[in-house]
Amino acid sequence: MAGTGIGARVERKEDFRFITGKGNYTDDINRPGQTHAFFLRSPHAHANIKKIDTAKAAAMPGVVGIFTGADIEADKVGGLICGWMIHSKDGTPMKAGAHPALAVGKVRYVGDHVAVVIAESLAEARDAAEAIAVDYEPLKPVVDLASATKKGSPAIHDAAPDNQVYDWHLGDEAAMKAAFKKAKHVTRIDLVNNRLIPNAMEPRAAIGDYNPGEEAFTLYTTSQNPHVARLVLSAFIGIAPEHKLRVIAPDVGGGFGSKIFIYAEETICVWAAKKVGRPVKWVADRTEEFLAIAHGRDHLTHAEMAIDENGRILGLHVKTRANLGAYLSTFASSVPTYLYVPLLSGQYNIPAIYGEVEAVYTNTAPVDAYRGAGRPEATFVIERLMEVAARELGMDPAAFRKKNFIKSFPHQTPVIMCYDTGDYNASLAKAMEIHDVKGFARRKRESAKAGKLRGLGYSAYIEACGIAPSAAVGSLGAGVGLWESA
Amino acid sequence: MPKVSMTVNGKRVSADVEGRTLLVQFLREHQRLTGTHVGCDTSQCGACVVHVDGKAIKACTTLALSCEGANVITIEGVANGTELHPMQAAFRTHHGLQCGFCTPGMIMAAIDMVNRLGTDLSEETIRHELEGNICRCTGYHNIVKAIQAGAAAMGGMKVAAE
Repeated sequence: MAGTGIGARVERKEDFRFITGKGNYTDDINRPGQTHAFFLRSPHAHANIKKIDTAKAAAMPGVVGIFTGADIEADKVGGLICGWMIHSKDGTPMKAGAHPALAVGKVRYVGDHVAVVIAESLAEARDAAEAIAVDYEPLKPVVDLASATKKGSPAIHDAAPDNQVYDWHLGDEAAMKAAFKKAKHVTRIDLVNNRLIPNAMEPRAAIGDYNPGEEAFTLYTTSQNPHVARLVLSAFIGIAPEHKLRVIAPDVGGGFGSKIFIYAEETICVWAAKKVGRPVKWVADRTEEFLAIAHGRDHLTHAEMAIDENGRILGLHVKTRANLGAYLSTFASSVPTYLYVPLLSGQYNIPAIYGEVEAVYTNTAPVDAYRGAGRPEATFVIERLMEVAARELGMDPAAFRKKNFIKSFPHQTPVIMCYDTGDYNASLAKAMEIHDVKGFARRKRESAKAGKLRGLGYSAYIEACGIAPSAAVGSLGAGVGLWESA
Repeated sequence: MPKVSMTVNGKRVSADVEGRTLLVQFLREHQRLTGTHVGCDTSQCGACVVHVDGKAIKACTTLALSCEGANVITIEGVANGTELHPMQAAFRTHHGLQCGFCTPGMIMAAIDMVNRLGTDLSEETIRHELEGNICRCTGYHNIVKAIQAGAAAMGGMKVAAE
């Protein structure tokens, strides 16, 4: 490998502090006089809150303050937002239920934040939280994605009486229908893309700090995007004007998307720092990370591919039901729409594509972008269709792909994306050479003799990340960040 | 409140701790040694691995009081002054880390691996021995390479006094 310049092997600059234990993660930071926050969470998936009695807890040793949704409302703290407006097929805007930082009137998933105890130590905060008496009226929960919108299912948000957030589409339905009319063969699949929980090794943490002399806040937070956090906390949640809020993301121990979003806990930490007049520190434990961090994926998909007599793809129809969980997280609405359907063309020349996505509320943790955010979901659909179609047609899966690769650039897909350049034949050929596809049959026979099964699969995909330019994404509904200047 | 005394990275330390105080809390909060991390609440992830009396243990599941009089080494104590331990250097050379959160636990587990099993470790052995350490960034391949190289490098020097 080259010694200098492009291609040179270089050592990272940041490793010294990580290999010597001198990293600066949020929980490693301590502010003078800091208090510790512990969140009381709902044990119910769906329940009305009849009463919260904090009197006994407030009298316990070390307690500095206890706050509930009523306190947030009284201080006119804005709710957590979903920053990407999506419209349904009929032009109506998505049904965004309110998402207060501490539950008001109702809890909607196990782990939903109900109250915060702020105390001299975490142990004292935990002990006091156990003494808070919440009178819940349990409601029937809706947790099955397939039946969440069925008549008779309880409404999770008043704004969405049938639990449907939006019913959106992209592409040309008429062109797609015409393509399927001409098809010699149609491949149909049903896919489950199961829910994932990100679980970065570093649990989320936040420290809110208020300087009364400057009337300014500082928030230390495990965020992948402190600029977005500052924008949302100031402009939308209303903690302070932007120039009076500093957001610091120190070393962050993994995120994979889950630390993009603006969460209740960091919001409360920064708000409460002024309320109690002392820094407020919160660190999630792993159980809370399973319960209340944004989850990923959770799609049910029916997809159909129309193919002509020569094995050329004529059209694609994808219908997906996406579980967004109990509340709309910061970018949730965009993941199964603009980050998903525009990638369904994959590397193939598909003249007609029509994608329909119905997003749904359930009494589960909110779902948002995770490691690929919509593109792995799209790749799974198109590549699975390619594999199944090839087998149904009796064609080699590599040959079927080659026959349908885009060969002329730039290529405008029917779903917004225009590909400027590519040579998909070259990458497939190289992959087949590296993996010795020619020798696969022999290896499979040898494995069988040893009592083992051996398989070979292909995935040829397009990855689109770094959503830009801001004017384009603004026109598609994005209302938070993604601007060229921070 | 009971008092606990132990040696941490060669220094004799004491503090008043509650009975329920974990060793990881004693190290991070009382001794301000924040290199040992808490990554889970089930003792599975290994981010908290330290050496107590020459053995790798999980500090998140050890009570500080149970370490009375013990000799504790944390990630902050494995370098020789400004000279990195060969295992630390190997992680940097072989890109065995990304976010760094699991790294102290990986390095401590790796040094213990060599102490028990010697300096010539196979990939299979390393992967088996890392069952108690989880990484979400790297996919483990470079961690295994780093440990193999670090172990071999440790073979070129005296075993660190513990």
